[in-house]
Parts: sequence; structure tokens; C-alpha cells
Amino acid sequence: MNNTEPSAPLTRRQLLRMIGVTAGGAAMYQAMNALGFAGESPFDAPIDLQGTPRGASVLILGAGMAGMSAAYELRNAGYRVQVLEYNARAGGRNWTLRGGDRYTELGGDTQQCEFDAGLYINPGPWRIPYHHRGMLHYCRVLRVGLEPFFQVNYNAYLHSSQAFGGKPRRYREIKADYQGHVAELLAKATHQDALGGSVSQEDQEKLLESLRRWGALDERYAYVASEASSDRRGFLKNPGGGLSARPIPSQPIALTDVLDSGLWQGISAGDSFDMQTSLFQPIGGMGRIGEAFARELGPLIRYNAKVIDIHQDADGVTATYQDTQTAGAPLTARADWCLCTIPLPILAEIPMNVGSALSAAIEAVPYASAIKVGLQFKRRFWEEDEHIYGGITYTDLPITNIGYPNTGYLSGGKGVLLGAYIWGLNAMEFTSMTPPQRIQKALEYGAQIHPQYLKEFDNGVVVAWHRSPFTLGCYGMWSSEARAKHYDDLCRIDGRIALAGEHASFLGGWQEGAVTSAMDAIGRLHQRAIAQGEKA
Amino acid sequence: MRGLKRHAWLRGLPLLGGLAATVWGALALADDSLFTSTAAFSQANGAVIYSHICQGCHMPEGQGAVGAGYYPKLAGDRALASWQYPALIVLGGRNGMPPFGLPADQVQQTRTVHLSDAQIAEVVNYVRTHFGNHYRDRVSARQIAGLPHPRYAGPAAAD
Repeated sequence: MNNTEPSAPLTRRQLLRMIGVTAGGAAMYQAMNALGFAGESPFDAPIDLQGTPRGASVLILGAGMAGMSAAYELRNAGYRVQVLEYNARAGGRNWTLRGGDRYTELGGDTQQCEFDAGLYINPGPWRIPYHHRGMLHYCRVLRVGLEPFFQVNYNAYLHSSQAFGGKPRRYREIKADYQGHVAELLAKATHQDALGGSVSQEDQEKLLESLRRWGALDERYAYVASEASSDRRGFLKNPGGGLSARPIPSQPIALTDVLDSGLWQGISAGDSFDMQTSLFQPIGGMGRIGEAFARELGPLIRYNAKVIDIHQDADGVTATYQDTQTAGAPLTARADWCLCTIPLPILAEIPMNVGSALSAAIEAVPYASAIKVGLQFKRRFWEEDEHIYGGITYTDLPITNIGYPNTGYLSGGKGVLLGAYIWGLNAMEFTSMTPPQRIQKALEYGAQIHPQYLKEFDNGVVVAWHRSPFTLGCYGMWSSEARAKHYDDLCRIDGRIALAGEHASFLGGWQEGAVTSAMDAIGRLHQRAIAQGEKA
Repeated sequence: MRGLKRHAWLRGLPLLGGLAATVWGALALADDSLFTSTAAFSQANGAVIYSHICQGCHMPEGQGAVGAGYYPKLAGDRALASWQYPALIVLGGRNGMPPFGLPADQVQQTRTVHLSDAQIAEVVNYVRTHFGNHYRDRVSARQIAGLPHPRYAGPAAAD
């Protein structure tokens, strides 16, 4: 590729390359799509299981979204269903920590959540895109109330410790200024006829008009301090009423400063399909869905059951499990079929007589490291002082995100922030610390963005997913290579055992992946059960 | 603030483009000993690698942990008598444990971390001489280089 065009004014290619810099998000999304971390859920309508053989039974391992959605449908279809769950609660990673909850992580550190009534943090999933129709279906069926989740808040911050003296900028400023400057450049190139003849004369006029509108340019196609640009990026003084009413436009940030800051990386935060408006959250916390499933399924779920062996024979499947609350002898549960939703790092350690293809698939998926920190503050300073209502601030600091509660606005009392949401190396480093250290570091970093932190901090709680006793990690990270080699084997029924969970989906890490994989697996199990029933 | 620091940060950017749901690359302040940038971490020695990565699962004293599943304990693990055993696991991962021997430009696919052969030698030596383990033979980067390394044949992670 020839990139040396020194004398040309500003070629289309150069411009597009520059725009492509922010297309990082979109390009990345495309790649992620290929890897199976994005995409529309195929859930269309609730599964319809007809003709269940009399007396047929299914043993389900794990009471998370996959296990419980499957249990719900299989029970309704007439199967005898039993669910074994390691935790003392249902939901799995569908989980909300509230005041009074206790959590003991691997290594033995126990935290007592001391949030005020009504306040919470979702250590696992926290948002449901509008196209995750399986999850929305079960929210409707289980009567779990939903409210909006804001992925993008124009008044939240983009922050770099290395730009603008470490002071955060509002999302709207960076977005408007980036867009305005790019529009101005492209308009200039159009006027200079520098688009290489690829845009017709007629289209050039339309392009110019669209650029003026898209970039909030003035009548001479310049991006300058004006009412139009301030209408995007915000005013120095907002318009009001009466004698003090006159608005004062704000000064855009120079293009070079926008580019140098790197903050443009944050502009596309809400552009990917998974993050597009509308998104939802259950009122009262994501855990409301797991709690509702648990109420619905009642005694079908046995809690505190640690599965230690899974064995299939010609007639059925037996799971041996230890009741974690008693030191008694292991117990067994048996059924014709088994739907196993145990996370892969744990399943890999449980003896199970399946074929070598499935065994290899179970061992092929590393789990991501992730951290979430919930911080309770004595007042909602982000709303009272900074007018940030919900949404997310992005930073280059190790905390990566600050998530503001999408509920309880201006309620006058305390509030809980998501003080950190971290992946990769820094997540591993956070995991390696004690819970109080993690909270302390989240406070120190967050205070660089919100100086109110140190004065207003009340208490906190942190979940490091690699320390989670019931998952050993956050979620399955399929490489494209591992997926090509093992994914189908992971999903195929082995004798009388089928796997389900986000790890058996192309929606890795999303609850919708768990639900759709469960529906897919029980549909196939059901066909086998019918075939078996006809033989008998 | 225009200075060297910012330029160093910008140089780091292309490496970070492939992060999935996060908008930023995870990049820390260079002056904070608790957190390290990807660039700074390439200088970490065995003790630092253990205390910043490994102990997250294998625990500070190498004692491992047990829940619904378990993290193997490294303390007194006889399998460590052979240095190839821990070296191959660090390189390629095992079960849910991420691989640390992927090329630096492929780690984002599974959100893991790249360790150099010298660093893997360092951390293997560290584990084999701590937590009650007393294996005297030291492993070199060259020996690590001789082991099979994971590498995806498919397209590199997006950046």
C-alpha cells in the first residue's frame, strides 16, 4: 500500500484513514462479531416442546440463566426436573449484592455488603440490549420490571490521565469537536475537488449540506464557537430566561488536542450492536431475574450441592454431589437425561464419562479475568455537583469505567457507583490484592476524576471473578481457532449429556447466550427423548 | 500537559485497540507500583509476575483454593520437579487458565497477557524455589524458547 502522497492537498484516502481511526470501534466490533462476541440473538419465540414421553426426566446441573430457563421449559413440557446448584442461592452470575449480603471468595476473604436499603451493585451482568429477546421474554413471563440502562451519557466523562492536565472532558465535547473538525476537513476537501472524482457534482452538494448538519458547521463550513456547535458540545453559559438569559457559546477544543488526547477512543462506546439504545436493567438489580426463576421453580432446585462426579450409562445419568452444609456421605441424583451448565473450568475438574471430543472442548476455553467494585457514597455528588444521571465514564486509569446508577436519581440520600470494571492485566493485578486493597485502589484512582470520592466514601464491596468459587473466572474466552476446532463438539449431545451456558454460545459473556444455548440444547434433548420413548 | 509521558502513552495505543467491551486499553500510571502498563510489565521479574498475576488464583502462599472447582496448590507440588511441567502450563494455559505464551499481538482474543520466554523462565524458577519447593536447577529463556508455544493460525485480533 502506497501511503506517500506528500504534495496532494488532502486526499480522500487520507481523510478516510483519519476517520478510520475512530472506526476502531466499528472495525473491532466486526472482528468481535467474527469471534462470536456480538450479534443478534436468534431467540424468536418461546420454545414449544410437544409430546414429552410419560415419566421422562432431566437432571440439570447449575441454577443460572441456562439451567433455570431450561428447567422452566422442561417442567412445563411435562418432564420431571431436578436442578443441583452449588451456591446457597439461584442465579449464578445473574447476581446482585445488597446490604446484608455476605460473600466469601476463594482464599477465604469474606465481605459483608453494607449498602443502604435499596442500593446495590451487579457484580456480573448489568445490562440487557433490546435485541436479547430471550432475556426480555423471561423478564416478561416472570414479571421482572425493567427500566432503562444508559450506555451513553453525553454529560459523563471521557478521561485520560495524560491529557488536558488529567482533567476529564464531557463526552459531548469530545464527540461534537471530533465530529465538527472531521466534517470541516471533509468539506474543505470537497470544495477543493480533492475527492478524486468519486463523488459526483450533484452528490458533492448533498455531501456538503450533510457535513454542515452532521458537524454543526457554520455557513462557511467552518467548525467554530457558535450557537450551532454549542448546541452539540454545550454552552459556556446555558440559555435561560429573563435578563440573564443570553447564552454564551463555548470554545471547541482544537483538532490536534482532540486527536492527541486519545479521548476519541471513547466516542463509539454506544455504537456497537450490543450497546445501542435501548438497553434495560431489572428494577432492583439484575439478580431479580434469578430470584424470580427461583421462586417459580421452588423445590425443583437443591442448593448447596457440589457436583463431584457425573456418570452416564445406557439408561440415564447419575450425578454424585456433596451437600456443602453437612459433612455427610455424598448423595446422588439420577435422570434419563442431563443438561450440564457448570462453567467449563469447574466442569473440566469433575470426572465425567464423555467422549474425547467433548472432553477436549471442555478444556479448550480460558476464562476471562474481570473485576467489579461497588462504592457507596454519602451523597450522590455525581448528580448534585456534576449533573451526571446514569451512564458510564471511561478512563485510561486501571479502573477503566465508572458506572453511575441508572435509577434513584436525585433521591437525596446515598448512592452506589460502579467504581471499577476491569479486564486483562489490570484485572489480574486487582485480583491478586485483598478486597480492602482493591477498594482502596479504586477510590484513589476514581478520586482523580471525582475529587469528592475521598470525603464522601462510605463503604464498598468488590468481586474479582477469578476468585469466584462458583465459576473460576468471568466467562469463556473463545479464540477463533478454538471455536473452529471445538465449539460444535462442546454443543453436541454426548450420549445423554448436553452442555449449555454462555460458553456454549456465540454471545460469550451475555446472559442471552446462556438462554439461547439452553433452548437449543433442550430442543435437541427433547427430540432424543421422543425417539427413545418411541423405542420403549 | 504535553510531555514525554503522553507520547509514550500514544505509542502504546495500537497495542490496545482490540479490547472488546471496554473502550480503553487497560493502561496504568507508570509511577504506581501496584499496577503496570503492558509496556512496563514486560520488565517484571518472577516475584512481580507471581504477586501480580499468579497469586490471583494460586494464592499468595501458593496454597491453591477449593470451591465448586479448585485451583491447584503449588506449595509442595511434586510435579514441579520437572521444570517443563509448569513451563508448558504457563505457556499454553490449562482448562480455564489463560495461556501466557501467545504472541503479544494475539493476546486480546482471549484477553490474556503476553509473557516473554525470559519472564516465563523467571516465574517458573520463582515457583520452583518458593512455597516449600526447593528445586535448584534454574531454567533459562533459551530452554523456554525450545518448548512449543501457542499461536493462532487464524487472523490476529482486531486492532
